[in-house]
Amino acid sequence: MNDHSSELKGSNMKRTNKIGDAPMGKLTRRDAVFAGAATFALGSLGSLGLAARAHAAAPATKPTGQAILGFSQEVTVLHPLMTANEVDQGVWWNLFSPLWMLDAEGKFVPLLAKSVPTLENGGISADGLSWRVELRNDVKWHDGKPLTAEDVKYSINLMKNPAFRARNRTAFEYIASVGVEGDHVITWKLKEPYAPLTSVLSWTFIVPAHILSQNPDPNSPLFAAAPVGTGPFKFVSRKTGDHLILEANPNYFGKGPSLNRLIFKYVPDLNAMYTQFKTGEIDFIGLQGIPANFYKEATALRGRRVHAAPRGGVENLTLNLAHPALADKTVRKALNIAMDRQAICDLVYYGVPKPANNYLVPTHWASNPNLPKPEYDPKKASAMLDQAGWVRGADGIRVKNGVRLSFTNSTTTGNQLRAQTQQLIADDFKKIGVEMLIKNMVAAVLWADFWRNSEFDSLMTAPTYTIASDPDITHRFGSASIPKETKSGSNVSQYKNAGVDALLARGRQEYNLAKRKEIYAKVQELIMDDLPFLPLFYEVQIEGTKTGLDGYANNVNALANSWNAASWRWTA
Amino acid sequence: MARYLLRRLLQSLLLLALVSVIAFAILHLAPGGPLAQFVATGDLGTEDIDRLMKQYGLDRPVPIQYLDWAGSIATGDWGNSYRDQLPVLKKIGMHVGPTLELMVSSTLLAMFIGGMIGILGAVRRYSFFDHLATIGAMVALSIPTFWFGLAVIYVFSVNLGWLPAGNRETIGDGSFIDRLQHLVAPCIVLALVSTAVWSRYMRSSMLDVVNQDYIRTAKSKGVPAMQILLRHALRNALLPMITITGLHVSTLLSGALVTETVFTWPGMGRLFLDSVSNRDYPVVMGMLMFTACMVLLGSLVADLLYSVADPRIKGASK
Amino acid sequence: MSTVQTVPLVPPRRTLAERYPALRRFLRHRAALLGVGIVLFMTLLSFVGPLLMPFNATDTDIRARLAVPFGGPHVLGTDPLGRDVLARLMYAGRISLAVGFAATALSVVVGVLVGLVAGFYRGAIGAALMRFVDAMLCFPTIFLLLAVAALIEPSVTSIVLLIALASWMEVARVVEGQIRSLRERDFALAAESLGASDSRIMFRELLPNAVAPIVVAATLNIAHAILAESYISFLGFGIQPPTPSWGNMLENAQSYLTNAPWLAIVPGLAITLTVTSFNFIGDGLRDALDAKLDR
Repeated sequence: MNDHSSELKGSNMKRTNKIGDAPMGKLTRRDAVFAGAATFALGSLGSLGLAARAHAAAPATKPTGQAILGFSQEVTVLHPLMTANEVDQGVWWNLFSPLWMLDAEGKFVPLLAKSVPTLENGGISADGLSWRVELRNDVKWHDGKPLTAEDVKYSINLMKNPAFRARNRTAFEYIASVGVEGDHVITWKLKEPYAPLTSVLSWTFIVPAHILSQNPDPNSPLFAAAPVGTGPFKFVSRKTGDHLILEANPNYFGKGPSLNRLIFKYVPDLNAMYTQFKTGEIDFIGLQGIPANFYKEATALRGRRVHAAPRGGVENLTLNLAHPALADKTVRKALNIAMDRQAICDLVYYGVPKPANNYLVPTHWASNPNLPKPEYDPKKASAMLDQAGWVRGADGIRVKNGVRLSFTNSTTTGNQLRAQTQQLIADDFKKIGVEMLIKNMVAAVLWADFWRNSEFDSLMTAPTYTIASDPDITHRFGSASIPKETKSGSNVSQYKNAGVDALLARGRQEYNLAKRKEIYAKVQELIMDDLPFLPLFYEVQIEGTKTGLDGYANNVNALANSWNAASWRWTA
Repeated sequence: MARYLLRRLLQSLLLLALVSVIAFAILHLAPGGPLAQFVATGDLGTEDIDRLMKQYGLDRPVPIQYLDWAGSIATGDWGNSYRDQLPVLKKIGMHVGPTLELMVSSTLLAMFIGGMIGILGAVRRYSFFDHLATIGAMVALSIPTFWFGLAVIYVFSVNLGWLPAGNRETIGDGSFIDRLQHLVAPCIVLALVSTAVWSRYMRSSMLDVVNQDYIRTAKSKGVPAMQILLRHALRNALLPMITITGLHVSTLLSGALVTETVFTWPGMGRLFLDSVSNRDYPVVMGMLMFTACMVLLGSLVADLLYSVADPRIKGASK
Repeated sequence: MSTVQTVPLVPPRRTLAERYPALRRFLRHRAALLGVGIVLFMTLLSFVGPLLMPFNATDTDIRARLAVPFGGPHVLGTDPLGRDVLARLMYAGRISLAVGFAATALSVVVGVLVGLVAGFYRGAIGAALMRFVDAMLCFPTIFLLLAVAALIEPSVTSIVLLIALASWMEVARVVEGQIRSLRERDFALAAESLGASDSRIMFRELLPNAVAPIVVAATLNIAHAILAESYISFLGFGIQPPTPSWGNMLENAQSYLTNAPWLAIVPGLAITLTVTSFNFIGDGLRDALDAKLDR
């Protein structure tokens, strides 16, 4: 009922459409080939060409019309370097600009930069430590001042400022110093080669130094109250708890925008939002979008288009490997094949998502296609457990060395579909003699110490394992990233594998895409053999637009699909 | 009178201080924190969480945090929201209007309808109508507000399409008619409980008054029944009714929260729900203090009016 | 015919109703009797009903999901997982009623203790306690419930504690008022002069005479507690599935309002019926015990 952020307040209603509908499937292979051959100058040339594509072919006429985008999260953070939700980033794409971005096909597309630095084009020095980026010279802030390298330098340093309430800073700790050459060249030196930096910077929106530096307090709320950026839209007003209004920026350096006004409307209740979509009060319904049980009805609505948007998240059972029963790899393997994923996808989610077997979604450029497919074989699972010495007790639950094969599973309250899934899985497990007890709690409690200190037995969540789509998942699976032990990272499963650690260390420092892909393919093999989590299905959000509102494109590399609202327009 | 006021004000301040301690304790001693909502998005690592907790001052011992908060609120600084950095008072201020709109309109509606039902019931005591009204009032007090709200939405918005399904206005419109249209359903839903209360109170107070001497005198003088009722009885029953409103503020606020949730009304209830879920401590504290002030104000006004109405009770504590 | 009236040496046995005038008054209150009947019915339905049902509250039968009531073997239809609605209603009734009773019992115990101590000792202790009660009363109920519910791990126990936390104040107020006036009465002063200990006076002399308003308050509290549980469960912070409660059945029914409205109608009716009944009983009790109430 009450929906909040995707994981947070539950009600993470996954909707899925037939994946075949999305054009993504075809382009994936092309991506892989392109990435594999990548390295030479095709990089920058291709990117420039794609720059035009990213902001689709919009006519260069005066922007007209408005679109009301409905989200079940409230836009609250307008400083793009602070911690925020998905929908906040959805707004930042329109207010601000990063140096470059990942488009819907997974290609790096330069925005503020003239080209994306790589080893091949010399943007990154041979030793991987010195980066040099040339900026466009035609970018203006919303207040008319020109963007210079000082702004980029300021933004990066702000992320490193210990007093600033920055979002994830890991990547920026690798930057030793930042420098400028004139007004339009930015350089920085790294402490060690760090490949994920390119991806992280694609989510780092540049903020105006001339405005922010005037305030000694980096956390001052004044900027967020009247944000100034370089994006296709300008900030107009915000009504807390209700909506946010943006207006077209006539001096935008890129293509567009075609619309004159964007209104981000906050509707906390999914059911209410769907009703408003039906009645036409909102033009676009995003993020959790349309509840799964309305999917059929929604596709039949006149004057509305429903989009199945495969996202980057994987719905899964996150296991705590410190649990005596779950520490046993055989148990994990048995559990993995004891769940009827297809039934869950079909019955609870109306056939929209597909079963998963990996932490990377299939369209990710580094995704390993050779992992064992999802299996459902309860007999085999039972046999495995029998052989490993897990004997059924009097109550039907297996026991070994005094340890009962019983554990709890927690997710956020208020998410009906997840609760149904939990029920089905518990039933599946019961059949093979495993007891899974359901213990749900409010998001603010679940995501606090319970998650961080690994106090859970298992969780049911749908995290996106990557940050800005970089395949480096050290923070999730590295031995040094166990919060309980090192107070850093998010490896709450407490998974330790030296082989994986070594591979991840190599992958972080390797700039060559083909080599990186190899490394991460091995990482996926190892992790999916160890099973620190049991993947269920790949997340698909069902979003919708009013017929006539064109330009929508699902981008799994952006947290919200309003990323390209600059190219949305009304056609009749 | 002035001394009484002063005494009540001091008492209220003391109460507010107590309220603030209780509220602060509840918020901070419970598990979970304001960063949980961002953990879910996925890119916050534990080291980021620790750093942010420190930057927000949340790693200090709770009593210290309380003194800090109390000190700043004493100087008028209610703090800033953790989520959008807006000053808390400003944020609350943006949401008070819609809630007051709801509360006032529903109270007026309830007084009117409930009053009429109560009067009719008193005049035709023990009649079928009276019994029906009594039972109806009981049922109205027992229906979960949100259930009634959902029913209203189902019938009038989804099926009949007469009323909008929620919100306060259509974005870009906001005209008076538009706002009125959006106000109808939530107002009716919120008025349900109040109507029941008013009808019963009106009935009993009318019954008391109708038997009084001055009414009989007027009757014997030949003044028409209706006139008697309306002029003498109503006027005397009205003042206590107003005191009831003051004491009713707490219930109204609770009802408003639920109604606002069902109708996605951008009021204080909505703000409270969001802030509590996100552990936006400054806003939650601000709202608890604010609603406590409203409740205290309501009961203060009620007591004042009550003592004005009945001089024998002047100065008595509530 | 003899004109001598034979007077029985043994007085005739008086009926219960004659011995307890309050009971007689209560029995005349038709609505209250109806309320008692309904409550008994709901209690039986919830606690005994499941034993007679062929269906479980947790057995899922996906193929039979969202069955319409009175259409087949499922009298009240099925929910999205195929679970029988009537069975769930009964099990939910157990939880909701249990929560109502337990929370009320707890709030009465706490309220009575606080009210007793405050009313008896008055002075600084009394004033401090009552100020504390007043402070708690400054929070609108739902705001208080939410503030705490959103912060704790929801379970039946914690919800019971929570609702009790939000409802003991009224009882304390009522009791304090009663005790304060009863304290000055002759029998109390007599006991005191006889050297009876404080606790003896409080519990043996004063409390029994204050039972009437406590009973009324307790009954109304049950009604409020059941409603409160439904409110916080509806908002998502109460009893969590798979444990069914009338409140969370309603919460889950919201998204199916258009295609399966019975999912919302049934638990809503159950709540309304039960709460109304308790209200009627409370009303009847208040009327019946009116003479005993000191005004």
